[in-house]
Amino acid sequence: METLSAFPHLTTSEFEDACTTLAARYDQHSLDQNEWQSVELIYQYEAKYLRITKPLQTCTVGRSTDKDQHTRSDEDEDDIEELEDDDDEVLPTTGGLEVLVVYDILLSPVYRVPVLYISIADPQHRYPPTMQTLYEHLIPSNFEAQAQSGGVIGGISIQDHPATNRPVFFIHPCQTAEAMEESVGRRNITAEEYLILWTGALGKCVGLNVPLALMQQNEV
Amino acid sequence: MSSRDVTSRLRERVWNGSIPLEIRLQNKDCRTYENSDPYLIQFPRLSYLALLIHKLHAFFAPNLIFPDAPPSDIWLSYEGVPLKWHYPLGLLYDLYSGAEPAYPPDTTSPPHKHEASDDEHKPLPWRLTVHFSAFPTEQLVRLDNEDKQIHDLFIQGVKEADYLRTGTGKTVMFLSKEDSTQLWDGVRTHNFTLYNPINQKLLNPQGVNLRHLPVRLYLPHAASEDTEPGSLRVVQSLVRAEVSSRQPQTIGMALNTILPTLFPSRRSALLAQAVLHGAVLPLNASVEELVRAVSYLDGWLHIAVVMMA
Repeated sequence: METLSAFPHLTTSEFEDACTTLAARYDQHSLDQNEWQSVELIYQYEAKYLRITKPLQTCTVGRSTDKDQHTRSDEDEDDIEELEDDDDEVLPTTGGLEVLVVYDILLSPVYRVPVLYISIADPQHRYPPTMQTLYEHLIPSNFEAQAQSGGVIGGISIQDHPATNRPVFFIHPCQTAEAMEESVGRRNITAEEYLILWTGALGKCVGLNVPLALMQQNEV
Repeated sequence: MSSRDVTSRLRERVWNGSIPLEIRLQNKDCRTYENSDPYLIQFPRLSYLALLIHKLHAFFAPNLIFPDAPPSDIWLSYEGVPLKWHYPLGLLYDLYSGAEPAYPPDTTSPPHKHEASDDEHKPLPWRLTVHFSAFPTEQLVRLDNEDKQIHDLFIQGVKEADYLRTGTGKTVMFLSKEDSTQLWDGVRTHNFTLYNPINQKLLNPQGVNLRHLPVRLYLPHAASEDTEPGSLRVVQSLVRAEVSSRQPQTIGMALNTILPTLFPSRRSALLAQAVLHGAVLPLNASVEELVRAVSYLDGWLHIAVVMMA
């Protein structure tokens, strides 16, 4: 088994191998699970990153949907979307257009660890990247306190996505290397195992869990 | 003059660099359509437009159709391009204003020579539009009323820069609470006396040489149907302080490594130029010296890559 050359960090090729392997594993098991909707490798400017999507769970259970819609239609006064917004109050599901949570995993060129970027893809743009959206729709309530600790406004905040340069949520990566060291200990692991452990350690607080079906041994 | 003097004088000149802004209210937000006065300010190149929102809010509130709009609804644009308010003003100006950058001057000429003949070519004041509605959430991080977002983004930049320089990020982590507060206060109020001592601690971590250098390159996309006006590709890669033992990395070497198609030569700019603080960078400049003397407030060299005509 190849050991990771820079553990607890990943090199670019280790990271890209891990993404490729995880995407292939998903292809093999996608029908055995319904947690994730898609896993794809994205190529951009000679770099690779991994995109995982799943349906947004809270989008129709509105602890705040009504309030959101009011503030939004105030802001979007001149937008064409206003009409659709009104429809929405009657029909909270989006008429077949699914709202997805998009998890992008990129290797940080600074910290040399994977970084998780999170956004909500909604054809009607009802979930802008604001701290309100984060706490109302993405962070499970039992992780709120943990997410709020650290940083100026918590350990999860908003930054421009390194590839799209659009604002998205992200989990601050400056403690990731230490966290990986702690959870792996003295074992030798592969790059893919690193990525799966990493997802397990960081993903939960924003609703990203590795489906159990993916963890089954591949049939030979 | 010793190199230390040169560094501190450059630091000071860059700190004092500013751009006159003429900010007008978007007609749609204006009670009297287009009759409101513009807000005029000489604003530091190193500072962030985000720190201007309270003044803009106070100035324009009487003219607003919806006077209850909070400061957090504010955003700024130039010719239809929403301006990322967490980029320093100088970077935005170098990227979007269309102003011709200055070329390396004759080193023997006095530093304070004003070239009056050039003034008519400079698009100054820089004319921006302030909006209080229709926030472009897809493109800009939304502000809050307490400057927490900009503070958060600033600190993230500072931490990344420190991690690159030291390889551990411990200098920032071990700053005292007072020092961290003083650093942000120095930025918020553009006060060199507050800012500089803390920045010096960050630039001179005890017992370590600088490992990597915080350099980020900004490339405007060619206009196309897929991209919004003004969208950028941001490129970042590990830049070592020294390419081999005792040979410092020059900006030309770094650009040639990171963007070989735009910078096929390490010594001369053939297709594109690297612009920092309104000036074309000489490709033989040492990246470490640049980081020490002319980095932005978060410790980064935010360099606009401008195609040559």
